[in-house]
Amino acid sequence: MNDTKSFVNHIRPRFVSEGALRVFYTVCLGGLSFLAFIVLGVTGILLMFHYQPGDNAFSSVLTISSVIPYGGVIRNLHYWAGQIMVVTVNLHMLRVVWTHSYKPPKQLNWLVGVALLIFVLYLDFSGYLLIGSQESGAAATVAVNILGLVPVIGTWLAQILFGEPSALSGSTLVVYVWHCVALPMVAFLLQLYHFWRVRRDGGVRPL
Amino acid sequence: MSKQSEWTRRAVLRLAWVGVIASAALTIEPLFKYLTSKEDRQRSPLVVYKKPLSENSGWQNTAAARVWVKRDSSGVMALVATCTHLGCEVNYHADREEWLCPCHASIYDEEGKTISGPASKALPRVAVQPQADGSLIINTSKIVGLDTRV
Repeated sequence: MNDTKSFVNHIRPRFVSEGALRVFYTVCLGGLSFLAFIVLGVTGILLMFHYQPGDNAFSSVLTISSVIPYGGVIRNLHYWAGQIMVVTVNLHMLRVVWTHSYKPPKQLNWLVGVALLIFVLYLDFSGYLLIGSQESGAAATVAVNILGLVPVIGTWLAQILFGEPSALSGSTLVVYVWHCVALPMVAFLLQLYHFWRVRRDGGVRPL
Repeated sequence: MSKQSEWTRRAVLRLAWVGVIASAALTIEPLFKYLTSKEDRQRSPLVVYKKPLSENSGWQNTAAARVWVKRDSSGVMALVATCTHLGCEVNYHADREEWLCPCHASIYDEEGKTISGPASKALPRVAVQPQADGSLIINTSKIVGLDTRV
């Protein structure tokens, strides 16, 4: 109990400058993104109990959203949290530019944020592929063809990121593993580093 | 002024925690139902029919709701009562010797051929395998022709 208390106290800033309490400085956009990320993690784990990657993806999505009790609520929470996160993450980026927060000493954290933005965008896109509808099949085909234009490593990169999606369903085991395990883990660790850096670089603001 | 001090910030936040825990408790039952749902389990295509099947007894329902069996003079057949229009379960009316679809009023005759309605194809027949003990195993994943008997 005592350890928990000291951990909580450690997370809190030692002091907060009055200006930092102004909501309209950060508009809480980073915090909202993190909240959406937590919601996505919880609902995503729940969806994995009934989702089947591969050829059965679309029918399992239909089953989740219309047959499994509360499956529709969980899927919609996951879907909308994902949509909102893409919006808040981009607005967060704009805010950082607006307040010149990318300038030294925060230049490293800006780069971490850019990496996180790329992860979030790939997570959003791979989630769209995992629906397994014909639209996601078309999207996967387009993505694979665009990556194929990259010289030398193009086809290899497409294989690693998307596997071999069919034109009728973008859901492959490769996309599934990236979307559900690998990228969320990396993104979460990077986020913790991002938050720690905020404090370290002297931007003592509530998350 | 004394009334104000009863609701300190600490007390309000504590009450908020109670609210958080209470709303978390409300999710236990939905979560349990979601996680234990077996609606998407893999169903075996094989259906067993153990009762004796006499000739001209008409269509008999098996343990699987949509699978029906019948014996006529040339043998045993099995039918899946799924409408070939949009997949509703069709009902057998023994008095009219017809299959009726409740969704869009397709009508099939005794043999499952279409009489009227949006459905154009006959109700699917599936393979039957008689066992040594007289029971039948119906393989719903194997479609056979209308005239097939065993």
